[in-house]
Amino acid sequence: MKDHLFTMTPEMPGLPPEMQERMQEEMRRNFLRMKHFAEMVMTPKEPEVGPTPREEIYRKNKSRLYRYESRRTHRTPVLFVPNLGISRPYIFDLMPKGSFIEHMTQQGFDMYLLDWGVFGPEDNDLTFEDVVTRILPRMADKTLQSSGASEISVLGYCMGAPITASFLGSRPEFPVKNYVDMAGPIDFSQAGLFAKWLDAKVFDVDKYVDTLGSIPADMVKAGFKLLKPTMDLSTNLNLWWNLWNTEYVTGFNALNKWANEYQPFPGEFFRQWVKDFYQQNRLIRGDLRMGGRPVSLRNIRCPVLAVGAKEDNIAPPACVKPLIGAVGSVDREYVELAGGHISLIAGRGASVHCWPKVASWLAARS
Amino acid sequence: MADPTQQLMDMWKKQVEEGSQAWLRMLGAPQAQPLDPQAFWRPFMDQGIAAWSKVMTQGQASPDLMVQWKQFLDQWIGAWSRVLEQAMGTEAFAKTLGKQMEGFLNAASPAKKAAEQQIEGSLAGLGLPSRSQVVGLAKQVVLLEEKLEGLEDKLDAILKRLESR
Repeated sequence: MKDHLFTMTPEMPGLPPEMQERMQEEMRRNFLRMKHFAEMVMTPKEPEVGPTPREEIYRKNKSRLYRYESRRTHRTPVLFVPNLGISRPYIFDLMPKGSFIEHMTQQGFDMYLLDWGVFGPEDNDLTFEDVVTRILPRMADKTLQSSGASEISVLGYCMGAPITASFLGSRPEFPVKNYVDMAGPIDFSQAGLFAKWLDAKVFDVDKYVDTLGSIPADMVKAGFKLLKPTMDLSTNLNLWWNLWNTEYVTGFNALNKWANEYQPFPGEFFRQWVKDFYQQNRLIRGDLRMGGRPVSLRNIRCPVLAVGAKEDNIAPPACVKPLIGAVGSVDREYVELAGGHISLIAGRGASVHCWPKVASWLAARS
Repeated sequence: MADPTQQLMDMWKKQVEEGSQAWLRMLGAPQAQPLDPQAFWRPFMDQGIAAWSKVMTQGQASPDLMVQWKQFLDQWIGAWSRVLEQAMGTEAFAKTLGKQMEGFLNAASPAKKAAEQQIEGSLAGLGLPSRSQVVGLAKQVVLLEEKLEGLEDKLDAILKRLESR
């Protein structure tokens, strides 16, 4: 049917055959573009996300710990800690063949995902310190218990990296086998536009939290949209360009669903996050305390991998790389891969560059 | 009746003038001097033209105009993105943004309080719990869960000790 339609395109005398072929191809694509566009508008389908089978291991308030079982060819399981607030974690298990978690389980790693959950106004008193000293340690212990392993690898993505670094830096006794920071800011003096906009001279975080209580999802969205104002334009342009491609459209729908589900921040968490990290840069300076203990990155002595993304404007490579110089590990490596903050870990580029790198690095040490 | 091309040109010029005024206001630049929209927009235009000529000269000389058009748009958006990033990275922009936020909070705070009071009054009149009461209850549930966890931990520790005997 499809071929019949497009071979019906009238021949254009005088045009070289190659050109004629291209024009026919373009007409075919335009037809498909219109068809897919009509489908997206008239009969939008809810994309199915999170395809990898998982089991809920533990829950604490809004947070959940999920286990993604593998053949377990590697003894050491991986605890994956993403950002709190901002977005939902199903980006890491977006769709079949487009899932970091699926890739890792196929490589023989048991994966544990800490889903922080969506916090409500009743959680506005939750601080960064609470997260580091009360939620994360419990989830890490449950990972150890559930896996039966004596050590775990910890993988922090985005804000999950400073959270995990604060945990490991204040709990040197915790049995961590490997630590991976993926696009996680460590030196906040190099944290790009957000560091400039959240500077204490221009941003009164106390007033913000005292007035609003929490940071609503719409505010989070506005901040991220402002960071890259041309993003929507280029996203829509690329969508139109690839709208003929069914596979692209499926991926776009899933990613678009995720990209429009912004999440709020608990007020006190945001206050401490901005003050201690963006405004005072206390993690890298070594004067951060969590639960009465000093946080020293030197306490991290296990093998460390830091992964920066060349085009990352949320955690630019310059603020990720300093982890390597700050930890006490002998085995430490920094790699800078193609892509932005999200495309580092999701999408076709990630499956070619980042996932194999992280999997092979961990495999050699697990 | 004016020439449609001229009309379009006039419209564009007006947009440029208004756009540059807005930009300068946003960046907090002094506006004592009369604006020269042409000079203001020249860097952007130059970038666009440079991008187009790059596509035409250095890009793959494809007979497919659609591909060239897409390349051009990508470069155009890229150029804009760089310009905007530069502008947004200035201290002036950060200050303006901070001031805007403060203005918003100053306006939002009394409005929020008034709305909350009114809603709470209405709900109390209807014999329904207010938002703050529901939030308070949810907080208590969270604390209760926390206490249960503490008890669980203590029990686990006791059991472990007993097992090790």
